[in-house]
Amino acid sequence: MRKQMIISVMSKDRPGIIADITGAIYKLGGDVADLNQTVLCGYLTMILSASFDPEVTKEDLLAAISHIKTRCKFEVSIKELDPDQEEEDMGPPEETYILTVQGPNKTGIVHGISLFCYNHNINIFDLATTLQNNQYTMALQLDLKHCISSLETLQQELEEYSRQSGLTIMMQHNDIFQVTNEIALH
Amino acid sequence: MLRSDQILATVEMIQKENLDVRTVTMGISLLDCRGGDVEETCKRINSKIIEYAGNFVATCDTISKKYGIPIVNKRIAVTPIAFVGAGFLKDDFIRIAKTLDQAATAVGVDILGGFSAQVEKGMTKTDREFIASIPEALAQTEKVCSSINIGTTQKGINMDALAMMGRTIKELAEITADKGGFGAAKFVVFCNQPGDNPFMAGAIHGIEEADAVLNVGVSGPGVIARALERLIQKHPEPGSLRLDELAEEIKQTTFRVTRCGELIGRVVSKSLGIEFGVVDLSLAPTPTVGDSVGEIFKILGVDAIGAPGTTAILAMLNDAVKKGGIFASKTVGGLSGAFIPVMEDAMLAEAVGDGSLCLEKLEAMTCVCSVGLDMIAIPGSVDADTISAIIADEMALGLINAKTTAARLIPVPGKEVGDSVSFGGLFGASPIMPVRNVGKSSRFIAWGGRMPAPIHSFKN
Repeated sequence: MRKQMIISVMSKDRPGIIADITGAIYKLGGDVADLNQTVLCGYLTMILSASFDPEVTKEDLLAAISHIKTRCKFEVSIKELDPDQEEEDMGPPEETYILTVQGPNKTGIVHGISLFCYNHNINIFDLATTLQNNQYTMALQLDLKHCISSLETLQQELEEYSRQSGLTIMMQHNDIFQVTNEIALH
Repeated sequence: MLRSDQILATVEMIQKENLDVRTVTMGISLLDCRGGDVEETCKRINSKIIEYAGNFVATCDTISKKYGIPIVNKRIAVTPIAFVGAGFLKDDFIRIAKTLDQAATAVGVDILGGFSAQVEKGMTKTDREFIASIPEALAQTEKVCSSINIGTTQKGINMDALAMMGRTIKELAEITADKGGFGAAKFVVFCNQPGDNPFMAGAIHGIEEADAVLNVGVSGPGVIARALERLIQKHPEPGSLRLDELAEEIKQTTFRVTRCGELIGRVVSKSLGIEFGVVDLSLAPTPTVGDSVGEIFKILGVDAIGAPGTTAILAMLNDAVKKGGIFASKTVGGLSGAFIPVMEDAMLAEAVGDGSLCLEKLEAMTCVCSVGLDMIAIPGSVDADTISAIIADEMALGLINAKTTAARLIPVPGKEVGDSVSFGGLFGASPIMPVRNVGKSSRFIAWGGRMPAPIHSFKN
């Protein structure tokens, strides 16, 4: 059975980072499965999962990456996955909702919303925020599977939160966004 | 994960622009409910409706809450009752109407359609008994809607039935005079009536349909209006915006609106274990401010609804709605186009009041949109033959153009031009529309017989 590793890399962005990192994995006989990358303020961060032969260790991979010649050093973190921990990728569950938050920029918006989610045992799958003309916009993909409140209570509490914080907060089911923005009808 | 701008566009559409699913309509076949007598038939009709639609409203409400999209109306459409009651007499049909009303109330739906007959070529004795029952049946029930199909492009127009329609409408209005003639608002005459239309008053469960099916009618004139306003206001080069870009915006917005209807319909259908039928792409207005088809005319460039250019705008709107919707849905059907029901659209009603929108212009507009002369309040003094003749003109448009047309006229008892009438709720309100040349069409209506099918219907 092959060994699964999760690799996270951060560096100043330049052409060739993915080629460098995946090159190091390739030389060790690794096979890349999922990869996600994003660039913010000129810095690139990526997270990827790859499988290796059992004898390859995370130290081998770290060494291979550190041998890459690059002006800005890679900040790398690697975790080996426990085979029992592996979960099948089932796609978003039925209780996936999209929360949008909009309002004038101030400190603590992201913290406040994420704390609200935590207090209700809501997991944040994905989160994107933008700041434009001093207007802050957050879009969160949430998993309500283990949420401790009913949907109705949650909507009421969000309304209350909206009133107190002066932010415009909306929560709608993920499917609505999928069907109105994607060509394929699932 | 979707892009933030896409997410925000969808949020705007749902939360601020009156996006809703106008109706989820369950079609139920009653053909197997026929018993030896009316008693037995009514019993079976009641059981079948309760069996199929018992959980319908609760399911719709749960799904509406889950997705945060209102389902404005939950409705039932049944097999045209004249088929179910073949051989029955007038009083038997009134009895069936009451049963339908009770069953609709028991399952909690807003309205039930299918108290109907299809007489486009000829009328049986049953059909005549059935038509005679309509005024009393609708006056004595609350939720039952009735429709008669008197013409098709394939068969022509049944002019004997047409003559009866004017009289039926007059009787309906008079028998419900205490409610402003509201009975006539629950009755519609069709040419080329579809069997899968989820909208009232013309919803039926066609005899070509399966035992039960779920059809959805989307709404969304408000959504289209706001999308157009945004495009016009925020265009980077305001002087360069052209009509084709506006048509494209309507198309894309309709795609989104239709997709929401399709999603809700399919989820309800899956929960109830009933086959999903069609999405009807009609843009259905409500009397709510900001949910008007009339408003779209003004946004697109006429200062008064009914001014020259109005028909052209409607043609473009109707076409763009179909193009966007057809790609969004797996199965499209029903009426599918823009509705212009005067009483149900606050801005159309206002245009009638200020004299900019007249009956003849509405008739021209129905050549290019999906329905017909819908929800028009006319003076109570207009005679039955004139009403039949107005309907004849509307039916001829459907006949020749191979499209659905319909007429729902309300001759409001005791009211004349300058007065107005209000039915409340989704039925809305309107000033009385003037009718010109009253009493000058009786010789035409008196011929009876049939208007032959047009030459282009012979395709075999």
